[in-house]
Amino acid sequence: MAIPSESDSSTGTRVPHRLWELLHFTPRARRKLVRGALVTIIFLAFNGVLAVLFGVTILNYTIAGLSVSSIVIVAAIGLTLVYGMRGFANFAYGDIMSLGAYVALLVNINGLSLIWGAILSFVVLALVGILLELIVFSRLEGRGAVPPIVASVGVGLIIQNGIRTIATTTPWIYRVEAIQEIPIVPGLGVHPIRHILTPAVGLLFVLVTHILLTYTNLGKAMRATADNFELAKATGIDTKRVTYATWAVSCAFASTAGILLGLYGLLKPTMGFEVLLLIFAAVIVGGIGSPWGAVLGGLVIGLSQEMSAPVFAWLAGPDVIGLVNASAYKVAIPFIVMIAVLILRPWGIAGRAPAFTGRVFFIERIAKALGRRRKPTGPLEDESGG
Amino acid sequence: MRTRAEAERLAIDTGILVNLGFYVSISIIFAILALGFNLQWGYTGLFNAGIAGFFLIGAYTAAIAITPPTPPSTGYPGHLGGFQLPLAVGALLAMAMSGLAAALVALPTVRLRADYLAIATLAFAEVVRTVAINLEPVTAGTIGIVGIPHILNFSGPNAAFLNTATDVGVGAAILVGLFLGLHFIVESPWGRVLRAVREDEEATMAVGKNTFRYKLQVFAIGGALMGLAGWLFALTLLYIEPSGSFAPAITFSVWVMVIVGGAGNLRGAIAGAFVIYGLEWLSVQLKDAAPDFLKDSIPYIRLMIVGVLLIILIIYRPQGILREKKRVLR
Repeated sequence: MAIPSESDSSTGTRVPHRLWELLHFTPRARRKLVRGALVTIIFLAFNGVLAVLFGVTILNYTIAGLSVSSIVIVAAIGLTLVYGMRGFANFAYGDIMSLGAYVALLVNINGLSLIWGAILSFVVLALVGILLELIVFSRLEGRGAVPPIVASVGVGLIIQNGIRTIATTTPWIYRVEAIQEIPIVPGLGVHPIRHILTPAVGLLFVLVTHILLTYTNLGKAMRATADNFELAKATGIDTKRVTYATWAVSCAFASTAGILLGLYGLLKPTMGFEVLLLIFAAVIVGGIGSPWGAVLGGLVIGLSQEMSAPVFAWLAGPDVIGLVNASAYKVAIPFIVMIAVLILRPWGIAGRAPAFTGRVFFIERIAKALGRRRKPTGPLEDESGG
Repeated sequence: MRTRAEAERLAIDTGILVNLGFYVSISIIFAILALGFNLQWGYTGLFNAGIAGFFLIGAYTAAIAITPPTPPSTGYPGHLGGFQLPLAVGALLAMAMSGLAAALVALPTVRLRADYLAIATLAFAEVVRTVAINLEPVTAGTIGIVGIPHILNFSGPNAAFLNTATDVGVGAAILVGLFLGLHFIVESPWGRVLRAVREDEEATMAVGKNTFRYKLQVFAIGGALMGLAGWLFALTLLYIEPSGSFAPAITFSVWVMVIVGGAGNLRGAIAGAFVIYGLEWLSVQLKDAAPDFLKDSIPYIRLMIVGVLLIILIIYRPQGILREKKRVLR
């Protein structure tokens, strides 16, 4: 109260002085918050209905979904940052995650705590990201989307098979204390690592990303560069430095996501590649280049995959269709969600529709499917009078 | 493509000719895959990251169509099949299924930027492989489909040699036919539109071509060629399983073949297939000569070399060793 608020306008960046200013949302943000709250309430109500209908144990799937979502979100934020800035899909991202997990393992099996492993892996992978941009991807700037994809597959092959050569293909496991699940009610429990630590780390990374992109100069420069590279350059942003920083952040996020993935199951050389589809689906569902979209997409993808498990389990019943290995099919769900989003809203649920192609995209298609033709516009083609 | 079946085959067939024939017939299969991918990417600019998926669909469709009924035995769950259709019908079915799958994947994504198509096809290939691993009543799961007949079933002391020679002969005939047919296609007005789409899609639209339809057609034809390769693969190996033979590494190998040979160049794609699969075949042959500490990691080192090749070629020689012929308008 004592601090005069006039001092804001004199400096370039707006520094919030009071808590209230942080909470003073624009109307657009407020609308989004209301919408988010509504979706959350509907989701909770849905889970409540499920619990009443099928018993409390069905909530295990929701908890697992939130946990998987957290891993996907951390990875998808990292992937979408580089995707938005450089405009190509980094197919090596899954293998970069595995690399992060194995770097942490190297520290962990030498007797240090996994936390130190995670910190070291974070730093090492940030350096790896900078090196990748320096050695490979900076040479492919301005060559379209396909050459960087090919190069990233090359990077992924080198990392994945390097891990296979050095760490062998036998699965590893982190040296952490064995922890029991904490039962809440009979049949429903939470695992301290899988269901508490993982979502907590996911939440932490979402907050860190939000602060980085909204309140720091680097984050603002990153957003500006991703939005319009030439304009950002003309404004005086050191786009080269920003690109390196984005690669560092992206790969550092990958290391943490990889470690969380390693804690969830076993460490295998293909562990990252196996979840790459999940992460791409989250990025596309959320809208490429949008970190908040990646959060939403990660939630949609993780929850839909895990919550489809009971449906497949039901299909496995002998009197339904007796599907064998039913639980394996849940990996197809992210793909189906992704294709649906690509048909209905190719710019993602949080992305902005392109100005020109706009909504015509889908409506035109419906019109075609119904067999109607657009009204002829030229006078020569005008045959409607006959 | 180092499968268990291949390893067994190499162990059993000691004859150098049979071994060489095996190399040639697998190279031909890769060459057909490379021709399909070259039509999609090299000529039209549609980047397919799911080659292995269309290959798998072709191989499984063919295997299910042509195998005789397998009596379920202990340890073998059996698979959908027993139709015993003629081999040519199997080939047509394989091409139709793969082409249809390619068209379905392309439908929502081919209109968008190249990276969406790449992601969707890669995802599709992984989903298809997961289904092949788990849908046991149809595919026999991880064990795979066994008992696929030879093209001509020889018996007697020279059976191995004669069967391999048939594989090579049939493969070579198909490859020559495809080469001539594709040459005719890409030099036709239709092929000219494909190159126009690759170079400047908006200009092509502006002269009144429905580029979406052309892209869809070419993606389906490329997928059908990959299905044909799958049919030949099933007939050559006589045994297909989903884990190794249809892994994403197959897709990446085909990329290297086309990039080495030169995108938009039919001869280049075939040459690339023979060279790159030749390296793989040699690495298998040299396994016994390698020092002990290297023996187990030879396939991984080979894949790392593939990765390095991809990076170096795409940075320094994106047009490949054999470039596409420059066309001058007269």
